[in-house]
Amino acid sequence: MAAPADVIPRRPTLLFVVVLALLFVLMSLSTRTRYIGETRTMFERTVMMIFSPVPKLVNWVGGAASDMYHGYLDMRRSVAENNELHRKVADLATENLKLRQSETDLRRLRSLLGYSEEFAMQTSMAEAIMLDTSSRFKSIILDRGSNAGVDVNDAVVNANGLIGRVVLTTKDMSKVQLVIDSNSSVGALVERTRRQGVIRGDGGTGAQLYDVPSLADVQAGDTVLTAGIDGIYPKGIPIGTVTKAEKGQELFKLIRIKPAVDFSTVEEVIIIHTRKIPNAIVRYAP
Amino acid sequence: MRWLRFVIGLLIALTLHSLLDSFFPNALAFFNPYVILVVYYSMGGNILGAIIAGVIAGLVQDAFSGAIFGLHAFSLTVCAYAVAYVNSRLVLRGTLAFGACLGGAVVVNELVIYILINVLLKQKIEMFEQGLIVKTIFTLLFGMLVYQLLLLFLREEPIDATQRPTGW
Repeated sequence: MAAPADVIPRRPTLLFVVVLALLFVLMSLSTRTRYIGETRTMFERTVMMIFSPVPKLVNWVGGAASDMYHGYLDMRRSVAENNELHRKVADLATENLKLRQSETDLRRLRSLLGYSEEFAMQTSMAEAIMLDTSSRFKSIILDRGSNAGVDVNDAVVNANGLIGRVVLTTKDMSKVQLVIDSNSSVGALVERTRRQGVIRGDGGTGAQLYDVPSLADVQAGDTVLTAGIDGIYPKGIPIGTVTKAEKGQELFKLIRIKPAVDFSTVEEVIIIHTRKIPNAIVRYAP
Repeated sequence: MRWLRFVIGLLIALTLHSLLDSFFPNALAFFNPYVILVVYYSMGGNILGAIIAGVIAGLVQDAFSGAIFGLHAFSLTVCAYAVAYVNSRLVLRGTLAFGACLGGAVVVNELVIYILINVLLKQKIEMFEQGLIVKTIFTLLFGMLVYQLLLLFLREEPIDATQRPTGW
């Protein structure tokens, strides 16, 4: 026999009431266990255990995504830092190059300054702005001229030795004939034996020492200095080194000299304002 | 089929719960995915099924929140019963009807929790009214969005209520 229609809905309602009562008891138990120090009932632990894979999975996925995101951010930051460091390295390399150049310049100028102080005569500094050592006539152009007190026949040296003499001046430039020019003549002496002679350029990259007798003691390796007897170059400036000394065709030796100065690298020079011999004396000179 | 949907929905709600806990710890104060699930299921009009759904969803929510174990189960069971009871007598269908049931369920759920906490713990919930309004609005918006998405992707009425309970 079927139940009356108005009775049927009461059964779920009864179930509802029973369920609520059970849940209320569960809550009361839960509240009580909290008071006695337990944080979870067995029933609660069971539910957690059943569904725990979900939060774990979410946590794992979230952690992985977070790691990837932060990894990506770190990578971008690293790339930016790398670029910045590359730029800094380039800047520092450039700065380092400049400092090295400055250090080299400073060292060279210091040695030049110390060298110029050795001369009793007045000196001034100049810079080579043009260099012509390729043709037969060897010369350089300096950036100082008569306005700076440069005069014809002033000696030009650097820290290594003799360069040449001024042969032409304008107000702000001067031309220097190098000792390796074939028209150049310099009174010289061999440092070891004090034997004197005359150095002339050979038109190439070297020079020769003339007027040295065949019997004179001159050997390869001897240092040749200015003799100070030509009225142009002060005494004692290194000119070069003997590379070859052999018997010549007549009474004199054939002596080849390697200049002390590498003319292709000349930059700053010292101009020695030598004391000029009065014309009256020059006129009666031999 | 409806139970399968319920289980999937429960897993999604728990996932959402875990995600929000991880990244926005206070987000569940403004939004309750379990209520949406229970209301969706209860709108089928099956009171027995609704009660079971409410108990299960509530216990899961309790297990993974700091509340007294059984608190949300109690409140969600009340909501589920109410919604199922109404739907067993009135055929409420469509997004607006779902929204109305959901809004009512959120309010009932919060009121039940408020009363139980007062009774059991003798505690007062701070800013209850403001929290209730915000939670109702956000849960309603999200729930109706979910309902629309289900309508769109399932291409059928999401709530299967062709069979009214005649007894159990």
